Amino acid sequence: MPGLKTIIALSFILAIGFLLVILSSALFGNYLTLLVVATYVVAPIPNWICGKAAQQDDFMDNGSNTVVELGRFITGFLVVMGIALPVVLAHTEAITIQAMAMSIVGGLLIYSTIISFGMFFREQEEF
Amino acid sequence: MANGLSDHRIFRFPKPQWLNSAYTRTAGVHAAGALFSLALFTFIDAATFSKSHLNGSHFHVNFVDWIPGIFSTFGMLIINSIDKTRLSGDNFSYSGDGVAWKARVILFMGFAGMAGGLAGSVTVCVLKYVVTDALWPELWFGVANIVANALIMLSCVVLWVSQNMEDDYTYNLAL
Repeated sequence: MPGLKTIIALSFILAIGFLLVILSSALFGNYLTLLVVATYVVAPIPNWICGKAAQQDDFMDNGSNTVVELGRFITGFLVVMGIALPVVLAHTEAITIQAMAMSIVGGLLIYSTIISFGMFFREQEEF
Repeated sequence: MANGLSDHRIFRFPKPQWLNSAYTRTAGVHAAGALFSLALFTFIDAATFSKSHLNGSHFHVNFVDWIPGIFSTFGMLIINSIDKTRLSGDNFSYSGDGVAWKARVILFMGFAGMAGGLAGSVTVCVLKYVVTDALWPELWFGVANIVANALIMLSCVVLWVSQNMEDDYTYNLAL
């Protein structure tokens, strides 16, 4: 069972992630890399909305399952977007290579924190 | 149940068991979204590079380069929004002869859009960049177009396969 230590570790990782992203923008005076944070914060939302939308009659019905899969598709899209956006920006020299690496690592830390928080503290509804 | 399925198969090697799990299906849908994102950002990379100060040539990405990607995306949208059970109309009584025929025509339009997108990207790459002797940093605009359209096609294949897994899975669950 997750307890206090899990919460402390997760918040520590989240803080490191934000530190890396903010450093990647503030060190070079170029705040485009904050878009990575926005992408990763938005990424779990489609799954949540589509899960709510398909909850009514998910039994013996293929139609409602499609909505859940649309949510998963958008989630996969947004996760890769969080990596691809700094790479595109660095390729056109809008940001530097160091800022790209720092924002990618920081964004992945933030997203893994969000995902593992959802995994640890999910309500035990399903059998 | 598993024996009942294996009676209908044609090939010697059976479909591996992990291909039928719900976990693989979820991973497949995620992977399809990831591939589509990769395709879009490959092309956006070419477009932004064309607009940035690094591009010193007279080659630029304009609307002509976007047309194959738009066709591929529409094809993928059409292919994956068709209900797969409507395609085999002869097995089910609730979908009459008209519905299966219409579904196949629309599916054909989707495949045609997708193949047209890939062919169009090769056409744009050859006619706009290769024939006019573009060198590497500018040739990337055409190559990225082909790569993006191929990735959209791959994403569509992954999504199609993982949506067809769903039927076997729910069937297993029902029995």
